[in-house]
Amino acid sequence: MIGTIARKEFIEIVRDGRFRWVAAIVVLLLLTALLAGQQRYAAYTATQQAAQGTSNAQWLGQGDKNPHSAAHYGNYAFKPLGPLGFFDGGIVAYAGTTIFMEAHKQNFAIARPAADTSAIARFGELSGASILQLLLPLLVILLGFTAFAGERESGTLRQVLSMGTAPSRLLWGKALGLAAAVLVVVLPCLLIGALLLATTGLQTVGGGLGTRVALLALAYGLYGAIFLFLTLAVSARASSPRTALMVLVGFWAFSAFLMPKIAGEISKVAHPSPAYGTFMTQMREHQRRGFDGVSANAKLGRYQAEMYRKYGVDRVEDLPFYWTAVRMQKLEELDQPVFDQHYDAVRDAYAAQERVQNRLGVLAPTLALRSVSTGLAGTSLLEHAKFQDDAETFREEMVAKMNGYLAQAATDLNGVNSATNYMIANADVFAMVPPYRYEPPSLAASIAAQVPNLVLLAVWSLVALGFAWFAVVKLQPEARR
Amino acid sequence: MNALIVAHEGRLLARSGALWAVLGLLALALGFAAWSGGRNVERQLRGANDAIAYEDGERARMRRDTEIYAAQVAASGGAYEFAMVRHSPGKGPPQGTNAGAVGAETSAYVALPPTGLAALAIGQSDVQLNYLPVQMGTTLEMIKQVEIENPVNLQTGPLDVAFVIIFLLPIFILAMTYDLLSSEKERGTLAMILAHPVSLRELLASKIAARAVAVLVVVIGFGFAALLTVGSQLDQAETWWRFAAWIVATLLYATFWFAVAVLVNLRGRSSATNGTILAGIWLMLVVIVPNLVSLVATTAFPAPSRMDLIVAARDAQTEAENSMGQALDRFYSEHTDHIPVGDQRAMDFLTLAQANAASIEKALLPLYQRFRDQILLQEGLVQRFQYLSPAIMMQSALNEVSGTSTGRYQDFVEQATRFRYEWNGWFAERFLRREPLRPADYDLFPKFQYRPEPTATVWARLWPSLLGLLVVCLGVVSAPMVGMRRLEVAAR
Repeated sequence: MIGTIARKEFIEIVRDGRFRWVAAIVVLLLLTALLAGQQRYAAYTATQQAAQGTSNAQWLGQGDKNPHSAAHYGNYAFKPLGPLGFFDGGIVAYAGTTIFMEAHKQNFAIARPAADTSAIARFGELSGASILQLLLPLLVILLGFTAFAGERESGTLRQVLSMGTAPSRLLWGKALGLAAAVLVVVLPCLLIGALLLATTGLQTVGGGLGTRVALLALAYGLYGAIFLFLTLAVSARASSPRTALMVLVGFWAFSAFLMPKIAGEISKVAHPSPAYGTFMTQMREHQRRGFDGVSANAKLGRYQAEMYRKYGVDRVEDLPFYWTAVRMQKLEELDQPVFDQHYDAVRDAYAAQERVQNRLGVLAPTLALRSVSTGLAGTSLLEHAKFQDDAETFREEMVAKMNGYLAQAATDLNGVNSATNYMIANADVFAMVPPYRYEPPSLAASIAAQVPNLVLLAVWSLVALGFAWFAVVKLQPEARR
Repeated sequence: MNALIVAHEGRLLARSGALWAVLGLLALALGFAAWSGGRNVERQLRGANDAIAYEDGERARMRRDTEIYAAQVAASGGAYEFAMVRHSPGKGPPQGTNAGAVGAETSAYVALPPTGLAALAIGQSDVQLNYLPVQMGTTLEMIKQVEIENPVNLQTGPLDVAFVIIFLLPIFILAMTYDLLSSEKERGTLAMILAHPVSLRELLASKIAARAVAVLVVVIGFGFAALLTVGSQLDQAETWWRFAAWIVATLLYATFWFAVAVLVNLRGRSSATNGTILAGIWLMLVVIVPNLVSLVATTAFPAPSRMDLIVAARDAQTEAENSMGQALDRFYSEHTDHIPVGDQRAMDFLTLAQANAASIEKALLPLYQRFRDQILLQEGLVQRFQYLSPAIMMQSALNEVSGTSTGRYQDFVEQATRFRYEWNGWFAERFLRREPLRPADYDLFPKFQYRPEPTATVWARLWPSLLGLLVVCLGVVSAPMVGMRRLEVAAR
């Protein structure tokens, strides 16, 4: 019975003029998006890897110089794309791609691709993910809004119900037929896309590709199911097909276009984050005050006295290490809690903003799906935060190693105040700092971050199913006037 | 147009909940958008003001040090001397006497002032830094900074008035007009109306007029209210011609969507089919075509990666350091008047850094140029392709009108770059001569004065979009004339 209904529904949809148009557009766009994504991914990855390789080599080949100057020269961290970045570019174009790691200063990620493209890019990036997030629901709606309302209008619903067809069977049959029609369009594209990607031998960063793809398929499947059952529910309840269409397209626009922006603005109010100028000013003022209100210079003075006491000396020349280097390292350590507090506050504000937006997924499933998609593609805020934290750890170790070496190797320079009499080190010393390498967050961490969103999607689809069930049980054979 | 029909339609609309729902949502969206746009601009301005105040404060502190020092010197009768750069407290003249320390270790922030309408279209202003730190050193140091903002929010884009107009206004217009004729036809009233001495054209014009007045009163009214509440510089003529252009663009854009609805209605399909077709047209013009154009533009003229620029800058730096003697020679040969008297080539940290920076800057100049050229090429391509969708033209027009366009920002960066050379030159000259800065010299520091682009330049970028909108509007408005003759007034 269900099979018969599904077959009838499928054939009807596929033979409708709407199907050809919508299917053709979705197929073309999806394939274009996947190919473009692959091309972008390959170009970005090539640039990033070349840049990182060169930068690591530049660190070693920077020429003989004072180790502290070497730390000033520093190194750059270039962010690789996540394993499924070709499918969902996520925040990559809008987060910085590059972090300068240097002595004395923590830095934000710079080189944001979106700043160097025309404003038209703000309409959105064509990617497999964006097409599925926007067009999959629309495909479902356009193919399904007449499911019940159309039959009611043409009078066949009364006949079907009079034959004693159980409404639940009608619901499942129509759901299957509609799902089959949608999958006939989407699945071949995804398979062709996957094949093309496989043949081009795309290099991906990070593991768990299979798990990621499976979970992504689950999330997008749930997302499609939400709209499928909502469409059937509204079609069953609506007085006419055009009302059903209005309501559904309205909800789609709300969920996919309007709500993400509203959620963004609400989250900014809930957890404000400073602008660059405000941030820098607050941090530098804090740095000057000292972390706990005692200035770094005062603390350095005390530290010097402490060292004199410890080694029983009363002048710099007698210290068993190069005081200048030890002092610089101490300064780093005094500044560090200030940097950490301010940079972490920004990172935490962003994460809190994202949580607020995810919670608002209660109103719009697109929000929850968007997070799952970028999270599993490895192009989310989580990766960015890890990238920044890792770069900072690398920076601290790099500076500590260079200052530490200088402290031991230049002891004889204590008290010599000359700009030309430097301790000069070479590549062997610089090699103490390993080349920078980015470790993406573990698969488990990526998945754990997305559990609430996956649950939300599951709840949404159950609610949509319940709504459809309820609407079909109370199905009216005639339009209410 | 027929006054009776307009009035009748008006009454009908006023009594249906749908109109009030649509107008209410539109008003709500515009109000929210104006508020959040205002917050956005305020945040940027606060950032700029904080940065400027901080750096001015740093220089004021240095100046006070020199004043105290000058008083000491005057009292003790010694010479007013130049301090070497140092980064820890010490004795001797204060750092403020060293032009290099002042010019290289404090920044002069130059800011791009928002126009009066900036809150109405955030444009690219949230991904670019509207206040740039000018220092001695290299231009790269200045242009590499970015405004910090949650990338998730940047990707989503701000909810500003421009978004409401470009994305939502068409939806509201189409929701009110998709069944303009088809509903009458489905009820069987169309044939009856047309049996009266009313032409189809008159009927359509009157129906549209009733709806357009309602929608446009809300849009223009709220736009005006937004300007009064979150706009600025209301006493400037510039703000008002910009707002006039905003109204023109909005009217053209709205007209386009009303005309599209009429055109589709004239094909005589059912309301549901009209709804589907119009939803499809909206999706095409507002989402898909702009996405494709963006894809083409970024693939055909990809901006050279900043990653490459950074790597090249480091090569230049290593090169400069390796040939330090030459760099210093060249530096001094370019500043022959500035070789300090007596000794004399100081080999101190700052001189070397300056010499290096000059070499790096020289090596990077062609790269900056390539970067800029590529962005302009990309922008040019988008400008040519904008005619494919009224939404792109509208975005381009609204960003231009609000002063958040790429063109205005590029001009600002050029002004900032020129100012950086001036700043660098002023301080380098005094630093290399080891000429001590006196308190009064602090009044002579170069000052940045943003020069607004000539109105003609702004219009040159604006008119193609407005003209494009006008042409598209005329095309879509005149097309129904043909369709009208063939409309079947009753359902088959």
